[in-house]
Amino acid sequence: MKAFEYATALSTESAQQLVADSGQFIAGGNDLLGRLKEYLADAKIVVNIKSLPGLDKIETGSQTWSIGALVTVAQIENHAEIKKVFPGLHTAAAEVGSQQIRNVATVGGNLSQHSRCWYYRHRDTLCLKKHGDLCYARHGENRYHSLFTGNTCISPVVSNLATAFAALDATAIVLREGKETRMSMAELYANAWENPTAHNSLKPGDLILKIEIPTARTHSAYMQVSEKHEFDWALVSCAAAGKVSGGKISQPRVALGCISPVPHQVKAANDFLEGKTLDEATVSQAADMILKDAQPLEHNGYKVPIAHALIRRTLLQLKG
Amino acid sequence: MPSWPTETKYISHSTLRIDAVPKLTGQARYSSDIQAQGWLYGMILRSKWPAAKITSINLEKARAIPGIKAALTVQDGERTVRYYGEELAAVAGTTKQACLDALRAIEVEAKPLPHVVHETEAMKDDSPKVWEGSPNASNPKPSDKGDVDKAFAECAAVIEGFYTTPVQLHHPMETHGSTVSWTDDGVTAWVSTQGVFGSRDALAGGLKLEQSKVRVLSEFMGGGFGAKFPPVLESVLAARLSREVKAPVRLMLTRFDEALAVGNRPSSFQKIKLGASADGTLQAFEFDNYGTGGLGSGGTTAGGGSGVNLPQPYIYRVPNTRVKQTVVAINAGGARAFRAPAHPPASYGMECAMDDLAVKLGMDPVELRLKNDPSEIRQREYKIGIERFGWKEKYKKPGSSPGVVKVGVGCGGSAWSGGGGARTTQGEAQINPDGSIEVRLGVQDLGTGTKTVIAVVAAEILGLKPEQITVKIGDTRYPPGPGSGGSMTCPSVAPTVFDVCTKTLEQLQTQAGIADARGENWFSACKKLGVNPLVVHGQWQPGLSDSRACGVQFAEVEVDTETGMVTVKKITCIQDGGLIVNKNTFESQVNGGIIMGMGYALYEERIMDDLSGVVLNPNFETYKVSGIGDIPEIDITLLNMPERGVIGIGEPVTIPTASAIANAVANAIGVRVSSLPITPAKVLAALGKVPPSTVSKT
Amino acid sequence: MKKPETENAGSFSRRTFLKSLGTTAVAVAATQANAVAAELEKANTEKIIGPNAVPVTLKVNGETLKLQLEPRVTLLDALRNYSSLTGAKEGCDRAACGACTVMIDDVPVYSCQNLAIEAQGKAITTVEGLAKNGNLTKVQQAFLEKDALMCGYCTPGFVMSVTALLRKNPHPSVDDVKHACAGNICRCGTQPRIMEAALQASGVACNSKTEVIDYA
Repeated sequence: MKAFEYATALSTESAQQLVADSGQFIAGGNDLLGRLKEYLADAKIVVNIKSLPGLDKIETGSQTWSIGALVTVAQIENHAEIKKVFPGLHTAAAEVGSQQIRNVATVGGNLSQHSRCWYYRHRDTLCLKKHGDLCYARHGENRYHSLFTGNTCISPVVSNLATAFAALDATAIVLREGKETRMSMAELYANAWENPTAHNSLKPGDLILKIEIPTARTHSAYMQVSEKHEFDWALVSCAAAGKVSGGKISQPRVALGCISPVPHQVKAANDFLEGKTLDEATVSQAADMILKDAQPLEHNGYKVPIAHALIRRTLLQLKG
Repeated sequence: MPSWPTETKYISHSTLRIDAVPKLTGQARYSSDIQAQGWLYGMILRSKWPAAKITSINLEKARAIPGIKAALTVQDGERTVRYYGEELAAVAGTTKQACLDALRAIEVEAKPLPHVVHETEAMKDDSPKVWEGSPNASNPKPSDKGDVDKAFAECAAVIEGFYTTPVQLHHPMETHGSTVSWTDDGVTAWVSTQGVFGSRDALAGGLKLEQSKVRVLSEFMGGGFGAKFPPVLESVLAARLSREVKAPVRLMLTRFDEALAVGNRPSSFQKIKLGASADGTLQAFEFDNYGTGGLGSGGTTAGGGSGVNLPQPYIYRVPNTRVKQTVVAINAGGARAFRAPAHPPASYGMECAMDDLAVKLGMDPVELRLKNDPSEIRQREYKIGIERFGWKEKYKKPGSSPGVVKVGVGCGGSAWSGGGGARTTQGEAQINPDGSIEVRLGVQDLGTGTKTVIAVVAAEILGLKPEQITVKIGDTRYPPGPGSGGSMTCPSVAPTVFDVCTKTLEQLQTQAGIADARGENWFSACKKLGVNPLVVHGQWQPGLSDSRACGVQFAEVEVDTETGMVTVKKITCIQDGGLIVNKNTFESQVNGGIIMGMGYALYEERIMDDLSGVVLNPNFETYKVSGIGDIPEIDITLLNMPERGVIGIGEPVTIPTASAIANAVANAIGVRVSSLPITPAKVLAALGKVPPSTVSKT
Repeated sequence: MKKPETENAGSFSRRTFLKSLGTTAVAVAATQANAVAAELEKANTEKIIGPNAVPVTLKVNGETLKLQLEPRVTLLDALRNYSSLTGAKEGCDRAACGACTVMIDDVPVYSCQNLAIEAQGKAITTVEGLAKNGNLTKVQQAFLEKDALMCGYCTPGFVMSVTALLRKNPHPSVDDVKHACAGNICRCGTQPRIMEAALQASGVACNSKTEVIDYA
């Protein structure tokens, strides 16, 4: 790492002031320190935001729960009520990294973490996302990359929590230039769909404050497939949520991670599932609709059948 | 001829590892833990070009970084680098941070040259050349035995397959490196090494010093698997820095460096044609293999050559063969001997071909092996194994397992030629008048349990308890021990300690005038030594050790045919152990070999990027090794063969694991995934479930 | 972006103000004493330190370490290179292998991916801090008896992960142990025996099923 100054912010104003235009926020530090070690990020100052007040609470509510951005992934995993009310979120959290990572990783950090594409993360490949000239993955090793993309960069979003939150229709509350802005998961990552140098829609100085999750979808599930059984990035992740009663689903949402810069959802598939009985034929049809426009690259076509299987399995799991 | 005792108290039983406590409490000092007075931090700058002419290296700005005390280049003058990661320069400073800043301040001028990092590309006529004026690929002539064409024509069943294995990285948990101090008295180096004497001599050569002026120490080291033999360039650089700064220098490689520059297992691309008569007797074998050992053969590899060539046909008797093997150079780090060099890929190719042939013949795979395996020991092991594993109940026609998650079983054998014992091994024992005893050997313990083996043998011969023996290893001031490779350590060390202690007992008994100084007579006998301790020297004796270990393994897997995920449920291993010195540590080696073999089967692959020429996965995140969540049930049966003496076990146990797993996957899904590692992507492709690419590359 | 504070004389930015703190309070503009004290306390906590070395106090295994560290120094680096606590190992320096695992306030973390300055005010436990008076803990004793180690380089990390697990969950299932240790890598292949050791330390007997057969 290059040398940096350090300060602990006690208010969001000072946090944004301290970070100015040449600093970085540090919460858990898993992503930032990894990037600083590879010289992928510049930080004249590292601003500790772990002491910002009021951002570390899990607040229950009859209509909406709120999870502060500083809540750790381990806290979500270990929260007995979350396991009951949002089981998909619980599972997604349990599969983030390893326990050593979950113990310090925050919700805000997990959502805003940068691309894990190995060309992006490599100190000696100047790829498109690092303002270089080309996407190495397109021509090269793209087994872990996107099936859907809106621009030349094919790096997918890999945050487990983003997938789970997307299915739960959660909203991120982001502090931008002193004002609170509400972003759906789709909006939180929209800029990555448009812009090859973007990882998400956050701008420098933005602070995620909390995530609000409506309780309307009483059933949720999350599954992922990785090459190893644990402590491995998902090849594909899938979250499904909805209100399920008598085997029928209402307000269905299915979201996929690791196959697009944005948690991948297809409105037509969600609309199709509304009111339907969750059986093999229906979920299979939904999966077809969700993956219809997939554009496999040279090495990542295998993600299509995996995604198909995960969509069917998570939906069927909602039945209980 | 000496012989081992038949009734034993410790040999062949289980003694707890005698160096466990310092490892468990954090007191054990490895090379990078040595508290050398005034030590400085050292770091290496590596080439970021896969091929380039380096025209100048300017260290001026690096030297000016606060905290930096020395900077040097690996070589003076212009030079050509041939792989991403080749060493260019080194610095020493008061902190890691100063060194990091200094590396970034070194100015390298380079003219990039064309590079090639994949075997198939490198074999093309118009490929960039790794070595100017030299073709990348050797041009071997096939070697024939018998009449292979005629034999194939007469076979009842013939299969053809193309079985491939990746470049595998050693990745010991402790990286390469050392703490080195070069003073007027000479060099003292605590090196993470598999051979203190080999490292000593390499250091002496590299520094142009007399060998007697160099001392290498390695009491604790964090694994090697073959990668930690000479060259010890990083230690030579640390020594040079130490001389300049007049202080010890601690220079350890990073995990990133380990993926680039300190060895690997060559790849293989094996075209195999195998034929048999109707009763399963093998008749013909045709083999055309190519693989890469990186930038070339020679200096960067131990064990001779590039390690690309495979012992084929592996194990099985085939009267008519044609073998051709091509060695291909690419711009990547050179291969080094890696746990049973050449055997795991050889086993993989052969055993996959055997199973494919068994399917074609409609024959049980184990029956096919029993028909053609010349080893009596392995025949016996298969027979024990099929009972223990439940082969006859578990083996079903390929792909016939019902449901989405399919179950399958497979097997494979190993034939390790190494071991035997180094005749040059020596040792000494010092008995003090108070009865305390020290046994000293210049050998190292990679985690294999060498120290404990020494204590067990000494205790047995002297009639003491292992806890009474102080074992000193890992110092070139002690009598010379073997390098720890080729599964040679135990068969070298155990007979040596046997000799040392046998002679020690004789001399003690003579000096003390006591007929039997063992057990309860020990302390009174030692007291009779008076003032001076008794120091007795001994050496390796023939007749107490042997080479050539066999072994067979069975695997049971589950394959999710919708996601491609492979889960290994069980590995059953039947392993000949010769005279098992310490059962405890022997078993741990078996576990270790199997788990490493499983990694080779399912997860491990060094990946090169064509365009940039870099290693794309230089970390544990994307170079995947078996984790605790992946471990199957491992069932071990050891064949006790004390009459063979001590055989080494480190390598044979890792040879057939990937073969057994690959065969089990093929049995489960009814189709062959012929390329390691067997990832979900490859399983799904074999099942025909992967849609073709629709995207242009631009 | 919020405008810099102008309560002080001149064109002092708040940032410069914060950076200049650490000497005396005299330079502060004259306002109400309480507000000044509160502002000072806030400013001190928000004080910019570094990039050069600053005093860092770490409480490790009950002892106090007073070090001079740059903010960029990791906790692992502080332990291994600025003190003699080399029990925690550097296996990858990238939060991927677990050899550096320590406990911060009883919670296992990768010391390589945590800044030393951020570990201040917390109770850090390394492997050297487990055995008291030379007596192995139950976990260490179980590792010894089950031969759950070979080269030993990953061992401190696994011991920390298993110790942390049993402190939180004294009767873990096999899956609990796998989940707790998933972030620790071993290349020698000790995982099966680590599993046995963890269960044994929790009171569940595990016996080796390895059979030795006489060939003759």
